[in-house]
Amino acid sequence: MSHDYQILPRRKKKQIKKINFQLIFLLIPGLIVFGLFTIYPIVKLFVMSFFDWQIGFEQKSIFVGLKNYINVFNDPIFRKAISNTLIYALVTVPSQIIIGLLVAVLIHSIKRFKITFRVLYYLPVITSWVIVALVFKYIFNNEGFLNYVITDLLHLTTNYIPWLDQPSTGMFVAQLLGIWKGIGWNMVIFLAALQGVPLELYEAASIDGGGKFKQFFYITLPSIKNTILFAVVMLSIGAFNVFTSIQLMTGGHPAHQTEVALTWMYYKAFEARDFGYAAALSYIIAMIITMITLSQFKYFRKFK
Amino acid sequence: MMRKYKYKLLIYFILLIGVIITSTPMIYLISTSLRPNGSLYEYPPKLIPNKVTLENYRYIIFKVDFYRSFLNSFIVALCSTLLAAFISSSLAFCLARFDFPGKRLLFATIMATMIIPGMTLIIPQFELAVTFKLINKLGGLIPVYVAWVLPFSTFMIKGFIEGIPTDFDEAIYIDGGNAFTVYRTIILPLASPSIAAVSIFNFLMAWEEYPWALTVINDLEKRTLPITISGFFGQHNFTQWGYVFAMSVISLLPVIITFLFFQQYFVSGLSSGAIK
Repeated sequence: MSHDYQILPRRKKKQIKKINFQLIFLLIPGLIVFGLFTIYPIVKLFVMSFFDWQIGFEQKSIFVGLKNYINVFNDPIFRKAISNTLIYALVTVPSQIIIGLLVAVLIHSIKRFKITFRVLYYLPVITSWVIVALVFKYIFNNEGFLNYVITDLLHLTTNYIPWLDQPSTGMFVAQLLGIWKGIGWNMVIFLAALQGVPLELYEAASIDGGGKFKQFFYITLPSIKNTILFAVVMLSIGAFNVFTSIQLMTGGHPAHQTEVALTWMYYKAFEARDFGYAAALSYIIAMIITMITLSQFKYFRKFK
Repeated sequence: MMRKYKYKLLIYFILLIGVIITSTPMIYLISTSLRPNGSLYEYPPKLIPNKVTLENYRYIIFKVDFYRSFLNSFIVALCSTLLAAFISSSLAFCLARFDFPGKRLLFATIMATMIIPGMTLIIPQFELAVTFKLINKLGGLIPVYVAWVLPFSTFMIKGFIEGIPTDFDEAIYIDGGNAFTVYRTIILPLASPSIAAVSIFNFLMAWEEYPWALTVINDLEKRTLPITISGFFGQHNFTQWGYVFAMSVISLLPVIITFLFFQQYFVSGLSSGAIK
């Protein structure tokens, strides 16, 4: 769409030297929303993290220094929640990319039913987290569909597996849900990337006598490198955003062993009402994901 | 030739297996919603029910005030989407077309906030909602939703506006128009594909948002769909899956219809960010 315009010469941006009433008028709604509901909360959160913070009128908050941060770092459940989040990222990010890319390559190679497949694989992406979490809860219930299949249908075990009642399998179900819901998103961005790979590259390769697999590793993968890096960054951020699936499927149980970063923060804030602790924890979560994202960018720049 | 044909067939076969695996949970959702509520844990569980009934749908439509949650979600999602579309497009217009003091800092800050999870700011945002007396009001949801989608929307629309040649703007200025005229007559119409693409995502986000609505809304008649669906589950626990899934299916319908009509926008909105 936009490349029709590229032949036209680019003009210099309109220079605004004086304070311009119209410009201010156009900027102000965005600045108010961004300033009041994003920037102010970022600053306020930092302040809160040094207090035993109370919310509500006529409530006194007491300055406690670094106590909230010390409490967070000494908390075994904090460590559990962060490690659950990191493992979730390590499991779901590569799985989504590999499966999504595989589906994209397959759909890219066919001629008929392309759009049908694309739509069907994309459906889990547009289904809300609340609904898919409840469906998975229903399937992985003790008397649910999956236990029926593995015990009475396939006779793999004689006893039910309490999927959502034990930490390891609880996290496994959450990861499975994350992968299942994310495949479609990856498929779409990789399909778009595959369409951008110049056909001449493949033609040259087939003259040289490379097989399909060779072509994939020597042409396709290097050509879509940027999209893969984009997916890694976005999915890592996504892993730190996990909340609804855990909250509705396990609720962090048993004994907070299936908490992830945000569910534990939410519990401390709105169940335990320890806002100071939760504010410090929020800051730590934001720092961790920012550091991960920045180091990914740094690493990828070297890689390029 | 025969080998090539077999190879193609294999690809379709793999894709089909994949579709069956990915859509099983959705089929199970729909079939459970169509089953009589008493037979939900009927043994053995079946993917396709023996007896199909609309009893669950009848119950949630006539007995529970489900339509109210539907309406609440619609109002919240529509207001958030429209506000976000205007605010982010005007902000994007300023960032793409003008130089003003602090511009680079503003853009860098907007980009940086895209990294941190929106939920980490939920405590100060909750305090703001308490201060402005927005607790238990639909109006308490909208500003936070707009703030959450603003950075990404601005980023996407700004990129698109930069592809529109400034010659049009110049022509308007020469004719005596001002920045508003340019925004209204050039930017809004020409950038509408990108505004539409982000608006679909913004609507979807507001339609299905869970944690903030859970925090702010308590009253039954103020609840949005995700809160009603998950809350209904919590109240009646294990016996009422049929009702829960009937609600889920109804809340999914508008999303799926929109998706089928505008799937090109879903794709373009996603991929334009990914390929750069």
